[in-house]
Amino acid sequence: MRAVLKKILSPGVAAWACWVAALGAVALAFPGATRAGALMARRPMLMGTAVLAVWIGLAGIRALRGRRAASALLHLGCACVMAGWLVGRVAERSATPERPVTGAMAMIAGDVSDKLWEGAYLTNFVGRLPFTVKLEQFFVERYTRNAVDIDAGREAPVREYRSRITVAEPGREPYVANVRVNQPLRVQGYRIYQMSWGQSQDLYGRPVTYTVLQFIRDPGLPLVYAGFVLLFAGVLLFALRVGCARGTAAREVPS
Amino acid sequence: MMVKLTFQGGLIYLTLTLFVATALALRGRWRAIGRGFWFAGFIAALASVIWRGVHTGHPPMQNLFEFFLCMAAALWPLSQWSRWHNQLDTDLRDALLGVVILIPACFVFSEEVRRLPPALQSPLFIPHVASYVAGYVMLARAALMALPLFRAATLDRMTLERTETAARQTAAVGFVLLTLGLLLGSLWGKICWGHYWQWDPKEMWSLATWLVYAGLFHYRLRHGLRAPGTLAALLWLGLLFIVLTLTWINVSRLFVGMHNYA
Repeated sequence: MRAVLKKILSPGVAAWACWVAALGAVALAFPGATRAGALMARRPMLMGTAVLAVWIGLAGIRALRGRRAASALLHLGCACVMAGWLVGRVAERSATPERPVTGAMAMIAGDVSDKLWEGAYLTNFVGRLPFTVKLEQFFVERYTRNAVDIDAGREAPVREYRSRITVAEPGREPYVANVRVNQPLRVQGYRIYQMSWGQSQDLYGRPVTYTVLQFIRDPGLPLVYAGFVLLFAGVLLFALRVGCARGTAAREVPS
Repeated sequence: MMVKLTFQGGLIYLTLTLFVATALALRGRWRAIGRGFWFAGFIAALASVIWRGVHTGHPPMQNLFEFFLCMAAALWPLSQWSRWHNQLDTDLRDALLGVVILIPACFVFSEEVRRLPPALQSPLFIPHVASYVAGYVMLARAALMALPLFRAATLDRMTLERTETAARQTAAVGFVLLTLGLLLGSLWGKICWGHYWQWDPKEMWSLATWLVYAGLFHYRLRHGLRAPGTLAALLWLGLLFIVLTLTWINVSRLFVGMHNYA
């Protein structure tokens, strides 16, 4: 058992594992983001990732026991990121309409809702949020129109999309907040994103502008971020050690 | 393709000319003249960075054009570092790399300050892109440094070790920057798109690149200097992945993803 473990955790095997994984990553680039994501969310892929995470984690523990700090941090960081990703996917699979994980809502000014939807036209009901959101107003702000825009006969490009919403959490005074692209709002474990917008008509044929807000909850995120920190600390230490060698470190030359 | 008829453009073309002159002089074995051109090229590159900063009134690190200028100015110090730390003369290869770096700045990128769309307005934009550009430059440098390893049989042991160490150290720095770029991109993805990993083609190719280098470091740990040619080949394989990530994946319609504005 110990001998087998030592064999499969050796850097020689790991090198080949890295290159096989690289080929896998290249293969997953071809079907496009949506299909690759759907493929990876399937059960056998989750199992495979779990096995890989355990394997890398074991390598990290071995490095920890051998007092190789850089290697330990790197491998435990990788395992941590993968474990965090798995936690997120498991949460997605076990989501209930009472506590949905991801979904979106399209709103026009004045709408109040706590219902999340999915699908290309947001027609499938996903579940209800533990709080309600009211859209106060949606803003599209543009840059000032310059000479180039005037020559091209077009409007200036968009500078900002912003949804001003009122959030009503149970047991708390409602409050107003802004959701912008690159500036999500955090409410009760959910992050609220400015996802999209568009123009449509209401029941009386009057033009209305709607905004689409996306709600995402990922319980694995702290684990992923912790993994990032470990991973980066490990890479830094590794490079420092490699960089300090003027000749070739004795340990690194088995030949 | 566009030619810049500004003072800024003039400085960049001067730098490019000096880099080409360096390469030609060193190739013709006029070492002193080559080194003179190399240093003059550095001064010109530095001048174009400083001029850019003074002219636009912001630190010249805010778009790809400016970042490529900075990379061109970073090459002379890097070659000096290799001379001091690794006792290696990398001037010729660094000058050639400088030419490759400057060509986009000369003829592709616009000098104009772009008005960024909301998705790109993030404090993570510059660090993410800058880490990748700097990382790619370092890894390209590592591949160039590793060239003599293909003819390992003709080298004495000390030169071999020195060359390999220098290439590996450069690759390690590049790997740190690659990791940083990947992690910052992931963090930004979470903030901007809602997910830290989207299975986007460019992400997948970047991950594959990272894994090629990770495999290289594992291989080096296992086999040491037993097969220097393989180590060099792996560095070139990594560079091939980088070139593919930058060209094919960006241009081809085969890979539809979220990085299409990049």
